[in-house]
Amino acid sequence: MTSSVLPYLLLFGPLVGALAIFAVPVGTGPSRVVEALHVASITAVLALALVAGGTALAAGPISAFDHWLLIDPLAAIFIGLVGVVGFLTGLYSLGYIRHDVAHGLLTPARHKLYYGFFNLFLFTMLLAVTANNIVMMWVAIEATTLGSAFLVGIYGKRSSLEAAWKYVIICTVGVAFGLYGTVLTFANGSEVLADPEGAILWTTLVANARLLDPMLAKLAFVFVLIGFGTKAGIFPMHAWLPDAHSEAPSPVSALLSGVLLKCALFVIIRYYAITIQAVGPEFPQMLLLVLGFLSVGVASFLFFVQQDLKRKLAYSSVEHIGLILLGLGFGGPLGIGAALLHAVNHSFAKALLFCGSGNVLIKYGSRDLGTVKGLLRVAPVSGVLMMAGALALAGFPPFNVFVSEFMVFNAGLGAGWVWLTLASALLLTVTVAGFVQIVSGSVLGKAPESVRKGDVGVAALAPMVVLMALVLAFGFAVPGPVTTLVGRAAELVERGGKAAAEPPTVIYGLSTPLRVEAASR
Amino acid sequence: MIDLALATILLPVAGAVLVALSPHAAAKWICQLFAALAVVAVLTLAFQFSEAGKVPVSATLIAYGDTAILGFTVDTVSVLVAVAVVAIGFLIAVYSGAYLSAGNREHPDTGRRRFFAFLALFVGAMAGLVFTDTLIGQLVFFEITGACSWALIGYYEKPKSLYSAAKALIITHVASLGLYVAASVLFLETHTFSLSAIADLGATGKTIVLIAILVAAWGKSAQLPFHMWLPDAMEAPTPISAYLHAASMVKVGVYIVARALMSSNGAPEIVGWVGSAMAIVTLIYGFVMYLPQADLKRLLAYSTITQLAYIFLALSLSVFGSKLAFNGAIAHVFNHAFAKTLFFLVAGALSYTTGTRMLPVLRGVLSKAPLIGVAFVVAALAITGVPPFNGFFSKFAIFAGGFSVSQAHPLLYVLVVIALVESVGSFAWFLKWVGWTVPGKPTEPVAAAAPLPLAMGFVLVVLIAMSVCSSFIAAAWLG
Repeated sequence: MTSSVLPYLLLFGPLVGALAIFAVPVGTGPSRVVEALHVASITAVLALALVAGGTALAAGPISAFDHWLLIDPLAAIFIGLVGVVGFLTGLYSLGYIRHDVAHGLLTPARHKLYYGFFNLFLFTMLLAVTANNIVMMWVAIEATTLGSAFLVGIYGKRSSLEAAWKYVIICTVGVAFGLYGTVLTFANGSEVLADPEGAILWTTLVANARLLDPMLAKLAFVFVLIGFGTKAGIFPMHAWLPDAHSEAPSPVSALLSGVLLKCALFVIIRYYAITIQAVGPEFPQMLLLVLGFLSVGVASFLFFVQQDLKRKLAYSSVEHIGLILLGLGFGGPLGIGAALLHAVNHSFAKALLFCGSGNVLIKYGSRDLGTVKGLLRVAPVSGVLMMAGALALAGFPPFNVFVSEFMVFNAGLGAGWVWLTLASALLLTVTVAGFVQIVSGSVLGKAPESVRKGDVGVAALAPMVVLMALVLAFGFAVPGPVTTLVGRAAELVERGGKAAAEPPTVIYGLSTPLRVEAASR
Repeated sequence: MIDLALATILLPVAGAVLVALSPHAAAKWICQLFAALAVVAVLTLAFQFSEAGKVPVSATLIAYGDTAILGFTVDTVSVLVAVAVVAIGFLIAVYSGAYLSAGNREHPDTGRRRFFAFLALFVGAMAGLVFTDTLIGQLVFFEITGACSWALIGYYEKPKSLYSAAKALIITHVASLGLYVAASVLFLETHTFSLSAIADLGATGKTIVLIAILVAAWGKSAQLPFHMWLPDAMEAPTPISAYLHAASMVKVGVYIVARALMSSNGAPEIVGWVGSAMAIVTLIYGFVMYLPQADLKRLLAYSTITQLAYIFLALSLSVFGSKLAFNGAIAHVFNHAFAKTLFFLVAGALSYTTGTRMLPVLRGVLSKAPLIGVAFVVAALAITGVPPFNGFFSKFAIFAGGFSVSQAHPLLYVLVVIALVESVGSFAWFLKWVGWTVPGKPTEPVAAAAPLPLAMGFVLVVLIAMSVCSSFIAAAWLG
């Protein structure tokens, strides 16, 4: 494990950016300085996140701040996610928020607050995914709530304030359970470890997990699952999610759904690794499978019946979180790898659709699917992107969600959960129906006379095009470094950090057919 | 040769992208141009392949470690089917260019980009499905064709057509779970997705994989219990119905079963029993549903269901060891594609010129529009298997193969005889409508018919010729 200055740079970039933005005086209009600072900050996050990922890949795990910060393959995946999705939604914000200011939905002061909190939110999420100290991990997750609650309620309308309030209350109460889990784990560790203080570090805990008291470890995992599961939007703790996702500005919805939920999942995965080592895989897997299946089942039907575009997408997020839990629960390198890849894939596709819903709001001023008609005729590029994004999220090839969904399916059959897997797959077809409904009802059809034709600006479309390109690229061919990271992270979770064989890489190009070696097993 | 196969797949896809990026007026021409290029590619491939002695060639394109993800294979079956799929795709593109116009009496429309983009993509995806040699590749192209068919069936954007489109998508997607299962089981057992690995599975594994593929195939080919989407899909523009229900969508199902059986090196008999039993049930159902239909397209929809049931029957019979039945099935895939396309395009020509496709009001077509009348007769005779038209030869091979395997399995006699009876019955029923529609004094809508555009007439003539020749081509090719 090498020590490096990289984690500091990564964290301080958005923190300094946020503070600088807060310090800019409020003018009469949306401030260019604020936007410039914002762009600088998110660009730094993107660049450093990619560098961190690359370094973790090439030189092994990086630690800093006396091992309190850690960038291992697992963290690198989520850092990359914060970097890429944060950058793209941050860029998308420029056009979107400017439109809101121009239409009097936001004041210049709130414009500044938006970017300040946006960067603060990025900082807290980065802190959560780089934390090795389990208490700091909890603190960071709690901090993400505070950072993003302001963003959810930024419009100051009754409904958005209510959503923000609900979000803060439910998540704070929920994450309190996470604290019990954290404290239990720490107490358990400090009891048995030679160096009691080491029990605060995840790396130490996972390396010595076999010493932990199994009963306490189980209890801690249950608390962690409830606590951080609330934040991750797992059924039945998901109640805050549809409100917060639908009331927040669209780029923030994208960030909430694409990245924040994954940060909470990241914490669960960290504890999952400890629990596998402490009590064996059966107990945590059973919990994950039950919650995952319930999330998929309940959310798919709730998704189908929603009439509000963004609420619909929010329920789809619950469903995909359920799918990720199923992958984790199926276990094995394939299941965990599939879950991690799905986390990435879902982020890209969902961010794309939330940005699309932002375009819908710009054009129609409504997200009611009964009002929004004929997007393809009003805004052709947005329409095509929405259509492709909806098909992607519904799990159609050649888009990325298909790849990881298929892997989860495969892992399920491989782990022997045949009926559970088939039932989940059938539930996913309900989602297909829901997405088809969005496209046929709102993207196609005749546009209302009142809506002016013409697409939204390039500023709002360019990030979406990049997201679409990512969705396609990860569908055709997951980039080599990402597969390697995912493979290593899966081994890390499953085997508690012990060295394992390198996963194979993807090979392209015409070659003679591979020899089939089968039936020998 | 693999590069030509790749070109056949990628040219239409490139065309689709270009259509999406070009102005409205160019869409039609770009689609036709790229479909034509794909035809050139696939014909060159067929020529080179037969010059080289018809030796199967395959190549892997994407692999994950030792696991082949996507690969292509060029052999007699894939080339033959690819020629039909791509060539008919081109003919449909030409026909649609004229059909989607303001002069259309049933659906005046100027042919938006979406139509031509998805049509081109569909051709590419079909070619991909035909050439791929991995189960995961089949699954990918299976789903892409599903998505394209959804976009095309719902093209007119009426609530009913959107509903039908969603229904087609969802039913075929549910069925696709069969392919998910097949691909997963194959991968878990053999660590590869290559179709050729099916041969290495044990008896249980083979049964699971083949039955799962069969389930997926029932969905795409609209066999019981997944048949509901097909009659509703007649909401599509007629050239699309022709492509979907003659050459492409429904052929996906039978084709993946054929490929799986080819690769399995002897399938368990249970697969044959399940397949043939469901085929006969579907056959009877489809025939009964002929009787109340007055809309020509809906009649053709049920005829499609029964014709595909024949192909499933033939493939199932081949499980019991009849090579003849298998070749009959492949030939029928090829022949039915041309004959049924012709029939649907006749329906399209009638609705273009007269504004209706209700059989009871259509009489005396021959005297007013001789080409449509002749095409109607040829299509009906070819579909019902009257010599010298193409349907006869492939059906004959199927029945001959069926009777030869029945000697070892007497129960199969019953199934084959039922199929034979159906064949006679459907001949009688189509003859009734031919006699009603084609000769005689024109009724009012027929008398007032608009002239047929040249492009549409050209396509009909080509298809009439193919309805005679295709079986000879198939027989010569399959040897």
